[in-house]
Amino acid sequence: MIYRVRHITHYEYEKPVTLSYNRAYLLPRNTTYQHCMSSTINISPGDTAGQERYDYFGNRVYFFSLELPHNELIIDISSDIQIKEKKYGLEGKLNFDQGVTCSQALQALHQGGDAALLDAREFVLDSPMIISSAGLREYAAVSFHFKRTLLSAVRELNQRIYADFTYDPESTIIATPLAEVLLNKRGVCQDFAQLAIGCLRSLGFPARYISGYLETFPPPGQEKMLGSGASHAWFSVYIPGEGWFEFDPTNNNIPAEHHITTAWGRDYGDVSPLRGVFFDGGKNQKLNVSVDVSRIETD
Amino acid sequence: MKISAPGKPDELHYAISAEGYDEVYGHQTQMREHWLYLFEALKTLGPDGIRERQLKAQRIFRDDGATYNPESSASPQSWQLDPVPVLLQSEEWAVIESGLLERAELFNLILKDVYGKRELIHHGVLPPELVFAHGGFLRACQGLSLPGEHQLVLHTTDMVRDSKGEMIIIGDRTQSPSGAGYALENRTVMSRVLPSLFRESHVHRLSLFFQSLRIKLNTLASQITSERPRIVILTPGAYSETYFEHTYLANYLGYPLVQGSDLLVSQGYLYMKSLGGRERVDVVLRRVDDSFCDPVELRGDSQLGVAGLLDVVRSGHVIVVNPLGSGFLENPALLRYLPQISQHFMGRELRLSSAPTYWCGEPQDLAYVLAHLDSLVIKPIIRKRGDESIFGSQLNAPQRQELALKIKCKPGDFVAQVYIQPSNTPSWLSPQLVPRPAVLRTFAVASNSSYTVMPGGLTRIGTGNENMSLSNHRGAISKDTWVLASEPEKQLSLSAHTVATAAGAVKLHVAFPCRVVENLYWMGRYAERAESALRLLRTVFIQLNSFDNVPEQIRLLLRTVTELTGTFPGFTVVDAQMQQQPEAELLSVILDRSRTGSISASLHSLLDCTDQIKEMMSSDTQKVVNDLRDGLSSLKDALQPGLNSAPEEALDPLVTTLLALAGLWQDSMVRALGWRFMDMGRRVEKALQSIRLIRSSLVPVLPEQQQFQTLEAILLNSESLITFRRRQYDGSGMMQGLELLLLDRSNPRSVLYQIALLREHLTELPTAAHGQGLADEDRFLLEASTALQLCSLEQLVAENQETGTRSELEKLLSRVQYLLEATSAQISHKYFDQIKAYHQLVRLDWDGEL
Repeated sequence: MIYRVRHITHYEYEKPVTLSYNRAYLLPRNTTYQHCMSSTINISPGDTAGQERYDYFGNRVYFFSLELPHNELIIDISSDIQIKEKKYGLEGKLNFDQGVTCSQALQALHQGGDAALLDAREFVLDSPMIISSAGLREYAAVSFHFKRTLLSAVRELNQRIYADFTYDPESTIIATPLAEVLLNKRGVCQDFAQLAIGCLRSLGFPARYISGYLETFPPPGQEKMLGSGASHAWFSVYIPGEGWFEFDPTNNNIPAEHHITTAWGRDYGDVSPLRGVFFDGGKNQKLNVSVDVSRIETD
Repeated sequence: MKISAPGKPDELHYAISAEGYDEVYGHQTQMREHWLYLFEALKTLGPDGIRERQLKAQRIFRDDGATYNPESSASPQSWQLDPVPVLLQSEEWAVIESGLLERAELFNLILKDVYGKRELIHHGVLPPELVFAHGGFLRACQGLSLPGEHQLVLHTTDMVRDSKGEMIIIGDRTQSPSGAGYALENRTVMSRVLPSLFRESHVHRLSLFFQSLRIKLNTLASQITSERPRIVILTPGAYSETYFEHTYLANYLGYPLVQGSDLLVSQGYLYMKSLGGRERVDVVLRRVDDSFCDPVELRGDSQLGVAGLLDVVRSGHVIVVNPLGSGFLENPALLRYLPQISQHFMGRELRLSSAPTYWCGEPQDLAYVLAHLDSLVIKPIIRKRGDESIFGSQLNAPQRQELALKIKCKPGDFVAQVYIQPSNTPSWLSPQLVPRPAVLRTFAVASNSSYTVMPGGLTRIGTGNENMSLSNHRGAISKDTWVLASEPEKQLSLSAHTVATAAGAVKLHVAFPCRVVENLYWMGRYAERAESALRLLRTVFIQLNSFDNVPEQIRLLLRTVTELTGTFPGFTVVDAQMQQQPEAELLSVILDRSRTGSISASLHSLLDCTDQIKEMMSSDTQKVVNDLRDGLSSLKDALQPGLNSAPEEALDPLVTTLLALAGLWQDSMVRALGWRFMDMGRRVEKALQSIRLIRSSLVPVLPEQQQFQTLEAILLNSESLITFRRRQYDGSGMMQGLELLLLDRSNPRSVLYQIALLREHLTELPTAAHGQGLADEDRFLLEASTALQLCSLEQLVAENQETGTRSELEKLLSRVQYLLEATSAQISHKYFDQIKAYHQLVRLDWDGEL
């Protein structure tokens, strides 16, 4: 399957911005399951100096600056991504009842092991936006019995978040603290992903944040999935000896061929689509984002 | 040799402490040989002699502006030096030095690994959490690499001598290590106050260390440019703790001192904003903590950094020293694993040991620490302001419990170290020598194949026995550290000498940031503004106290005070009470710093400007600035009502000091661009002040006698009265008076004189900055100059019967004033940096942490 993702970010400033420096996580990375075949970047005004790099997590990050006064900034990125194979076989075929149990996982993490496992321990730690807490632990704990497989426990957590929380784009700002999300039981995909990660970390399991896209048009007869038309977010959990497994709590599923990964990190802050500083520009700015995901070639 | 017993005040006494190792005696009763000469010399000097040398040292520090700004204190404190040096033998130092070299190499390898392959984690040498959870580990710095063998350019340690006489390292500094400049200043001062003792002691020199630093920075720069390398020192600004050191090093090394806002990233390169454009920067020696260096990728709330800097570093277009990310190495938890790390990388243990350290992130360490809190020093794994080491032994039971709770809550955030009782070293506490615990800070800089270690370093001593933590935060006293050569060291080699001169020569051409130029300009303006206000107030006090004053005339003068200083409404409102007793308002115009235009406000602004350009001030200027600061702080007391002296006399010293400052600028500042801007500031302000003065006092027409007295008062105020009286004048003298004040080109206080000088300055500015032909500011000044020259004095003095004023004079002066203000605005716009602060594209509340 080949997808084309077009992501347009449009800033309008009250007064001209004289200088700006930006860091963008808008170029889909390559993973075991996907290959980004091409990306075109159009930035207006066009006199920009840009540089693509790989970051600490292996994500593609694009740095650019604008050095002439401008009233608006448009970042128009189009990428073609091939989803190489369906993850974990087909969704339904994943065996949730076989594999590492929760207690085995904790023990293996504690004991240490290969480089992958040691590196994964980074994702147990608190990160700026996700701090472990007793509240998160309490919410999550009921799903995590010692003898249960970690995979099935995480699937249950994923289901519970889907069932217990209301998707509500009005409810949050990007900086909603987890405690508030947990209390109000409302949020958007970023919040649910971060909530799940916080739950897992509070119990000692490594989990990371994934930003990306979801296919826009649902196949006929199916309900339109939430989070389309915008960037999406979900999480993955590390199971010692088995690797990283992705879950989407917003849609209660396991990301397979409809999810396109852009970048991953400890939390939203590591991979926020756009970050930077600008000079002048007045107090107010208007932001408009549009995302379009379409199939350009089907297997 | 025996030191005399106590009780004889004229002889020098040193009683060793019962506790710990003594630097002079060790564990013996016999003085160690290398101290003999020093003690003999100190004995000869006697208590009075030492006291005198100490005072002299303090005076030099003050004159050099050597300060330390502790966080706790509002004003900078003078640097403190104990006149008795610490002595180390050459042979002993050689052992320490080789240990330090080895340690610097090891830290270099750790740095490389942590931001590279992370073998230490993958091979199980370091627990992942020790790296990943540390705030100094900056993920954005992954893969950064300096050209050459060494990633870590500067490595600094703190060490103490334990009770067995062995040197033990208690901590490492790798972020932007401070102290080397203070050590150099200490050395300079010691060699001046105790010259023969210093000469005869054959002390290893410090200069080699700084030469190595300079060579290293040049070598790094040569990797990215084939032109003359441009190296800058990045400071957080005048309010940072060690600002003096930044200015000192900038001068010593001959590099411009810049703040983040002086730098700019453009098209993938780093530039310094200077007059006439931008200058590319190749190497940044930073004194700003790494996480504050780039708001785009690091702390978004930092205003101390340069937006986009990190990506320029990544491109290899600029080199930052110490590299960004190196703050991680200050994690004291590393000390616990150092033996294993050393085994891993070098196959052997380090020769110099560190204090035994426990990291509470390890369960067995945590258990040990909680059980032994009373004997350990607890440190946070990351240094934050206000977070200091906690000495378990100094806590009572509830405090200890509280600490235990804090540790248990976040064990990985704490380390504990065995407390090493530092050795004692003789220190001067008038009138005798007392034992004081000492910590030595050492300095290593990467050189071609290895590191170069400064012989000795910066010793700090506790001010009392109870003071176990010796940091400058707590106001510790410093000492020079002498490594004694067995024979006189050779004088600086020729090549070294050449390096020094070359740097000196370069210095003349060193461009400086626009910010410096702007501060020079405003320094000139504030100095003039303060001076003219002081003069006027002096005149007013004299008039107030003169027995034949006339209410009319006083009222006019008081009004002039308000208009000249801009402290409205002041005397411009009709308030009989205030006119009768003007003292309160006058005192407020002098002392109230919160009123813009008050003398205190102008002088404080002037002092702020001098802080910003500290590195460009000569020692003589620094002295005068010190006097000014003193004069300002004692002004309030001097003006206390009821004191014998008249208020005008209290203002005299400040006027004199400002004149001294102006004289120094005139006589000893190199006529470079900096001077021109300073002088332009002075000229603009002087002209504006004269105009305000005349508009307020001479435009209204007064009865003849009063008019004459007012004119004389104004002429006196402008130091033109004597000239006026010598000249022939007729009638009211108003025409001659105005000519003197406005048009006389031979009078250095006339308005036309200031404008002529301003025009001259403008023609001397670099074409690149000024542009070709006549610029707006030239036109403004040309018009002002022409208007003044074409005016008719008869018309100027003539009274407009309708208004009762000299309306032609008013018309002329208001136009000239407008033109001068426009000129100043144009200069600001054209030559000073307009970009002040930036915003974050997306404001994230957790940006404080990374």
